[in-house]
Formats: sequence, C-alpha cells, structure tokens
Amino acid sequence: MFKKNAFIAACTFAATSILVSGCASNIENVQGKPTVYEDASTTGSVGGVGIESQDVVAMTDQMMRDMLANPMLTGRATPPRIIIDNEYLKNESTSVINTNMLTDRLRIELNRAANGRMVFVGRHFSDMVQKERDLKRDGAVDGGTIRQTAAQAGADFRLGGRISSLDAIDRDTGTKSRYSQITFEMIDLELGTIVWSGLYEMRKAARDNVVYR
Amino acid sequence: MIKLIKPLAAVATCLSLLTGCASQSSSSTELIERTAPITMNSVAFTDYDLKRTWPRGFGQMENGESYRLSLVQHGQRPSATGTTEVYVVLRNHTDYDYQIEARTQFFDQDGVPVDVKPTWQRSTVPANSLATYRELSTTTQPLQYRVEVREVN
Repeated sequence: MFKKNAFIAACTFAATSILVSGCASNIENVQGKPTVYEDASTTGSVGGVGIESQDVVAMTDQMMRDMLANPMLTGRATPPRIIIDNEYLKNESTSVINTNMLTDRLRIELNRAANGRMVFVGRHFSDMVQKERDLKRDGAVDGGTIRQTAAQAGADFRLGGRISSLDAIDRDTGTKSRYSQITFEMIDLELGTIVWSGLYEMRKAARDNVVYR
Repeated sequence: MIKLIKPLAAVATCLSLLTGCASQSSSSTELIERTAPITMNSVAFTDYDLKRTWPRGFGQMENGESYRLSLVQHGQRPSATGTTEVYVVLRNHTDYDYQIEARTQFFDQDGVPVDVKPTWQRSTVPANSLATYRELSTTTQPLQYRVEVREVN
C-alpha cells in the first residue's frame, strides 16, 4: 500500500516537473530580420500601380535634363529667376502622393546642375525672409554682410502641372492597371505664355494589393 | 593501334566543333563581356540575357554569340544650349516586346566622371522593331559617354 502511494507521488512529481520545465523557457534566441536598404531609383520589393520612388527619381531627372537643354530657360544672358514649388502642381489622380516630393527633388537637382544658369526663388520661404527683413529694418538686428534690397526677388517663370490617372480592373483575375500622366509646364509670369513643357507617362499593372501612405 | 588513330582524331575534331557551337548561359563566367575593358563612347548590354559572346572551342575562328537585342547605331550631338545629347538605336530581333532600362554615364575628356548621377530610364523595344533611347547631359563641357542597357526586372 505504502509503495503504491509512493509510486503515485513520484509520478505526479515527475509530471509536474516536466510541465514546469516546458513552460519555463519563452525566449526565442534567433536573429531578427534586418532592415533592407533598396536603391530608390529601381523597383523595390514592394510595388503596386501607383507612383513610386523610381518614378519620382526618373521623372524629375528627365525634366531637369530637358529644362537645361531649353534655350528659353538657360540660354539667356541674365539667368532667369524661377519658382519651383507644388503651389500649382495639382494631383487629380487616384495615386496617393505628396507632390512636394516631385517639386523638391526637381528644384534641388536643377539648382545643383544649373550651377548659376538659373536662379531659384524660394517663395515657400518668403515669410522667413520677410521676418528677417523686418528685424533688420526695425533695427533689432544689423544689416548683415551681403547687401540690402528694396524688396524680395520677383520671379520670371513658375512651374505648374497636373497629375492625372486612368484606372482599369479585370474582375476575373483581380489585376489592376493604372495609366498615370504627369505634366510639367513653365509659365512666363508676366506674359502668361508656356515657355517649356514636359510630360511623363506610364502604365502599370499589378495583382498584389499594395497600400500607399 | 595505328588503325585506331584516325577514328579517334575524327571523334576529337567533331567533339571540339560541337563544343564550339554550344551556347553559353548568361550566368557563365566564360562570357567575354565580363572582363572586357571599359571603353568610352560605347554602349554595353549589362544584362547578358540580351546579348552575350564567348570564346569558341579549339579551331574556331569566330566567337560564339547569342542575342535578342542588338545595337543599330549610337552617337552624340550638342543641344541648343550646349549640353550633350546621346542617342542609341536598338533593334529587337524577337517576336516579343522587350521592356528595357538604360542609363548614361558621362565622363570628361580625361575620363573623369562628371555630370549628375545617372538614372535608369525605362523604354520598350517593340517586337521585331527599333526603339531609340536619348539622354541629355546637364553640363556644357565636351563629354564622353558610356550607355548601359538591361532588361527591366
């Protein structure tokens, strides 16, 4: 009788020990998946039908090179003053995109490449400039070291444009297709004429569901 | 023994000829393009599926060649503002449209890389037809170029 009770107790102890030891280790000692850097100018591992990084790079690069080959913009004795911002670049497409990505990259790359052949007016920084000008005129700060002008720079040309798209979907396969058209136009700010135009278009088809944010 | 020499020699010759005719895969390390010197004012297919050449076996005068696209002509000319325009005309020898990417690297007369970072430009070469790729430089100095062409992933 005693032996039987001892045997049952031993079995219970052993089973409890196994259970406790099984629950004790929750640590998974494995290496995590590292972040992968991808080339912004090529198609990445996640891709859909919208405007993506490689499209932004390719279209702004193409527009920059085309503008620098236009004699109306870069063939002048006095470099023209140009505004490039997204104030007049309208997104009327179904693609979700911050249009500043296009205008910022275009302005920065163009400014670096033009090397004085064009002068860029930072109209989106005009309030910052005005505040400093007011402080100088009020005598709160001195006049700086460069010069004083009667007013901020007026511009000769300004970039305008539009993003539009046409979507189609195959109900049988779920394949989605989008034709995107991005137009860029440089407007003479006195006469209203268009002195340069650039067009970038593409059509993409994909079955995977990608969410752009 | 002497009687065997002739048939053996014939077999050896046939084998060497057959080896010379065999195609090389695009991943082969035997491809001539892999170690070809970099030349200026040239066009290179960096995707060996599009075009590749390899040395043939013993007794073969010409290299083996396999291609889907070929180069018709290329060159450069100044734009209206003095920048350089490079053009490349490609021919598609297949029955299928080919989506390609091309980019141009510009170098000055000393071979020093200049201009902005090259960017891949997409284009389609229609089946059994021609397509032209164009690229403009951003600087007005005299330039040399090297164009790279690959298939879109």
